Amino acid sequence: MFLLGEIDFSKLVTVEGIGSVIRVIVLVGLGFPLLLFICTVVGKAVQKRFTPQVSMLIRKGIFYFGSIVLIISVLYQMGFKLTALLGAAGIAGIAIGFASQTSVSNIISGLFLISEKPFEVGDLIKVDDTKGTILSIDLLSVKLRTLDNQLVRIPNESLIKNQVTNITRFPIRRFDINIGVAYKEDVSKVRNVLLDIAKNNPYCLDEPEPLVLFLNFGDSALEFLFAVWFVKTDFFKLRNSIMQEIKERFDAEGIEIPFPHQTLYTGSVTEPFPVHIVPDKTRKPKPRG
Amino acid sequence: MGVLDIWNRSNIGSGEILRSQIGPLLLWFRKIEDELHVAFERLPDPDTIVDATGPVAVNVVESEGLDWGRWIVGAETNVVQVLPIMPDRPVVVHPELPVKIPTGHKALFFVSIPIWLRVLAGEKKPIELCEVPVLILSNTWFGDTMSGELCYSLRSRARRQITDSEPNPSRTICPVKIRNTSPKQLNVERLCVHVEHLKTYSGGKNLWTNGITITFRGEEQVSKIEYSSNPPAFEPVGEILSEARTPVKETILKRSIGSFKLFSGI
Repeated sequence: MFLLGEIDFSKLVTVEGIGSVIRVIVLVGLGFPLLLFICTVVGKAVQKRFTPQVSMLIRKGIFYFGSIVLIISVLYQMGFKLTALLGAAGIAGIAIGFASQTSVSNIISGLFLISEKPFEVGDLIKVDDTKGTILSIDLLSVKLRTLDNQLVRIPNESLIKNQVTNITRFPIRRFDINIGVAYKEDVSKVRNVLLDIAKNNPYCLDEPEPLVLFLNFGDSALEFLFAVWFVKTDFFKLRNSIMQEIKERFDAEGIEIPFPHQTLYTGSVTEPFPVHIVPDKTRKPKPRG
Repeated sequence: MGVLDIWNRSNIGSGEILRSQIGPLLLWFRKIEDELHVAFERLPDPDTIVDATGPVAVNVVESEGLDWGRWIVGAETNVVQVLPIMPDRPVVVHPELPVKIPTGHKALFFVSIPIWLRVLAGEKKPIELCEVPVLILSNTWFGDTMSGELCYSLRSRARRQITDSEPNPSRTICPVKIRNTSPKQLNVERLCVHVEHLKTYSGGKNLWTNGITITFRGEEQVSKIEYSSNPPAFEPVGEILSEARTPVKETILKRSIGSFKLFSGI
């Protein structure tokens, strides 16, 4: 209301006023398309030289700066006094600050995220139960594209507060598989078979070396950890191929992957549970011959 | 057909079928009007097969279930050629027996590296159709888990001399000279050869690459690597069959020898 009071509406109907309106229309009509064009051209130019993250920051920086310059120019043409506007902005800032604490918090969190660089555009991250590739890091939020092609918007504030896992930060990763085999199996044989599977799988790296660790005497199985390293882009290929190979190879080698067993006793640990077979009297005996 | 003839151009007319073999890899070519069809077939037991024949005409495709690729090359394109080229990534060579080089000493090794094949069609301006490795090497990582580079892994005898054994057309010999100028003994457990910087030459019996000289100056310092611009002098060599994928200045500084153990960690 205070700002509107600064506009002298009587000027708008004069020749000078009409001139101002035309200038405003020209500014908005040409300025914003020009700004978008500059952003696109600069964006394409920096795309080749910088990472997607830096390119996006440069593009958005130009857009925000240009938008502010355009808005100030438009307001000036409309008769706003900028000194009054800045003064008003101070008072309004306090009011807006109280009203938009969450937004301000997100903006500040966004600045921290940009400077700390825990992830960049294109990285695959996991936040709580959400896993996705980063599409953009904006002032208020980070936008992810999940693996099933959904868009998820996560406020910057929650990214600062919560644990974020950057899955594709490093070029190689380790895939851990927990495997149980029956108690009767030869541990050395199991180890050798697993190492051989890793050696013959094209997606497993020779180095860092694959790892077979005898973890535990489980309730129903001898428990192993089989860990193989792979290039981050090969995750799905490796996962599919190696799981299938383990099953096929274990079947071929006669290595049993047990399911949970339970043994019932009838008071004595050594004697079996007595089973009495009751003949079915309703069934007629089959004729012989 | 001579050793070098397998890399020559061959004519293929419409309706004709050609078959070529480079070690354990069979190549099939089929021309149908303006299309050229190419298929690959891997023979079992790849390490023992050293046969090589250039593209020769056959009546029928003897193998079934081939995965054919189709290229529209034009009816007038009736020439195919297969050329050897170095792998597309560095190769980490693991000597079967780790080699130790004392301070101030140097040693020359002949590393036998499986080649890739580049298939070309046409004579004046050949069209590059595809590339295929003769042997599929497993992947490995050279460096630590946060940086480093993806390489192929290769077990090698790292021979010190060229023997008179039967030449293997599916491999090229890379002469690598290692100089140890560091104050400690150099334990060569693995060696990263940047094959993408190497040219391939045809020799009388073998395929060759230009030589590499690595000067090891210590674990904490990068090694000096020199790529020779001259053909190797261990056998009379002919023309360059293929240029380096990424030509490099003669000398670069890089970490190339790994005597440290990487550990998986839990």
